[in-house]
Amino acid sequence: MSVCDLKTGKLAYVEKVVGNDKLAKRLMALGFINGGEVKVKGAAPLGDPIVLNIKGYDIAIRKKDAANIRIREA
Amino acid sequence: MKRAALLGNPNVGKTTLFNILTGSNQYVGNWAGVTVEKKTGVFEKSIEIVDLPGIYAMDTYSNEETVSKDFLINGDVDIILNIVDASNLSRNLYLTMQLKEFKKPMILLLNMADTLPEKGIKIDYERLQEELKIKVIPISASKGVGIDEVKTVLREQFNCPVDENDYQFRNEEQIYKYIDSILKKCVTKNETQKKYVSEKIDKIILNKYLAYPILIGIFYIMFMFTFSWVGKPLQDILSKGFYEKFMPGMHELLKNSSPWFASLIVDGVIGGVGSVIVFFPIILSLFLGLSFLEDSGYMARAALIMDKTMERVGLSGKAFMPLMVGFGCSVPGIMSTRTLESEKDRKLTALIVPLMSCNARLSVYALFASIFFPGNEVLVVSVLYLTGIIIAFLIALLFKNTIFKKDDEPFLIELPEYKLPGIKNLAIHTWEKGKGFFKKAGTTIFSASVLVWFLSNFNLYGEASIDKSMLSAIGKFITPIFKPLGFGTWQNSVAIITGLMAKEVIIGTMGVLYGGNLKIALPKVFTPLSAFSFLIFVLLYTPCISVVATMKKEYGHKMAIFSVAYQFILAWVVSFGVYNIGRMFVR
Repeated sequence: MSVCDLKTGKLAYVEKVVGNDKLAKRLMALGFINGGEVKVKGAAPLGDPIVLNIKGYDIAIRKKDAANIRIREA
Repeated sequence: MKRAALLGNPNVGKTTLFNILTGSNQYVGNWAGVTVEKKTGVFEKSIEIVDLPGIYAMDTYSNEETVSKDFLINGDVDIILNIVDASNLSRNLYLTMQLKEFKKPMILLLNMADTLPEKGIKIDYERLQEELKIKVIPISASKGVGIDEVKTVLREQFNCPVDENDYQFRNEEQIYKYIDSILKKCVTKNETQKKYVSEKIDKIILNKYLAYPILIGIFYIMFMFTFSWVGKPLQDILSKGFYEKFMPGMHELLKNSSPWFASLIVDGVIGGVGSVIVFFPIILSLFLGLSFLEDSGYMARAALIMDKTMERVGLSGKAFMPLMVGFGCSVPGIMSTRTLESEKDRKLTALIVPLMSCNARLSVYALFASIFFPGNEVLVVSVLYLTGIIIAFLIALLFKNTIFKKDDEPFLIELPEYKLPGIKNLAIHTWEKGKGFFKKAGTTIFSASVLVWFLSNFNLYGEASIDKSMLSAIGKFITPIFKPLGFGTWQNSVAIITGLMAKEVIIGTMGVLYGGNLKIALPKVFTPLSAFSFLIFVLLYTPCISVVATMKKEYGHKMAIFSVAYQFILAWVVSFGVYNIGRMFVR
């Protein structure tokens, strides 16, 4: 499953980042690496982008990009 | 002179530290070939400090990263100053690990160290220094804590260690595992209430129903602050004093010299300086508002809230802010496009910012609407604003699919914790933004003012009144261009030219050329339809000289010329359409 399928407030672990190289590399540099704890904190008023918490900070990302972040539930 | 490179993630206080170390010895420019800002400064006459763009990593292919990497490899760097957010070490140290691979002497500056206790974080600095094998100094750039130690280390000719280990990390995961293993030994964390304050504010700011009213309210307050409460009143006082007291006083002083010389000095040179100075209060108030929104953490939320809407026209949420600011004045609007992710997004946004009706154009709309559309002023003005927005979006779509064709950049934006901005920081950030404008744009505005003074006071035979001047000759020459748009009189042409100085000058020029009361004079040369066509033209045509100067300063000659040309063509085409289609329905 991807991080988009995660309910707000629930904790999960990143498995890997798939999709285009440039995006994947950027996301990994930001801390989306195997085993990293990730949480959905909320979303913009129209439901997209979503706000993720990784490595203790918040980052907003569009759903279509976030779909590349594969996770397993905690 | 030795050279130090200052690096760090975005929003960790890099600029603040840079200002403390270099004071006023700074030079701001662009890196060759890209619109990435290059700032250099000198520390105590002995060390040149280069402030590199805020980045998260060295290897994810952005212009900012390429610039930084090239500089570290080829720029004769003697020492790396790596500033990090002490409360978010894990991610910040990722860049640090990559910087260590350049094998240069390096100092790690843990900024905002003073906020650690309230966040329940404890760091063993000695241990961290041992583990990382580089010099570590806790500081607070905004409060000036620890800065003396940084200065001492810099003075001591970089007497700090280089980590010679070859780590051979194979991927991001290994780097992060290594960082976390170090942090486990040096950092302890107790969860505190502090963190939840930001979360609670976000619940309201990002709420489905409240987000938009709050957004509108905040920008409304910012514009009121600039144009009603502080900026504009100050400008009025300043220009009153300048034009009604200082300039007549100077005329008085020079009354014994020849009239054209007095006019050159007072109306040309001093008037030219004045046109830059009266800009001060408005620009600085708007910049103050913007700095407040940025420093408080709200700007990132505004980008998030508007992203979905902006995405529809191929822009990122971060483009919302420059466009919004454009309603006040295009100059700070274009300057704030710097915050956008990619160079193409920055350029595209800068090109459409002037299509937002700025405050100066409102005075033209208001006058014409009151003369030609009495009772419907609000409707007409609203239609003009809306037309600007719609055309901006259409142009964005057009450019996006032609000259700025590319893959979509991912929208990634860090949401910093909310904080009340410090007054000192606000002042620094406001002045930073203002200084660049006045230094570079000021000279262009000044020379253009003198040129217009010359053209409107002289013809080939010497001094002349404005209706016999070179300017009126140019006006007469270009009038045929405006005939098909319904407002082809030489007076209008001249007003359109002088409007390039500042759009509100159009009214003043018409006042001079049509001789007095415009309420009586204008209906003789305009029909309501041609008046509307004229307003559309004023909305869209070539932005004023301050905007062109800013465009040149930020994005170079080519973009400035392109902006001038495309907006003129756009204005002509749309006005032509409005006037000629309109004629089928009304006389």
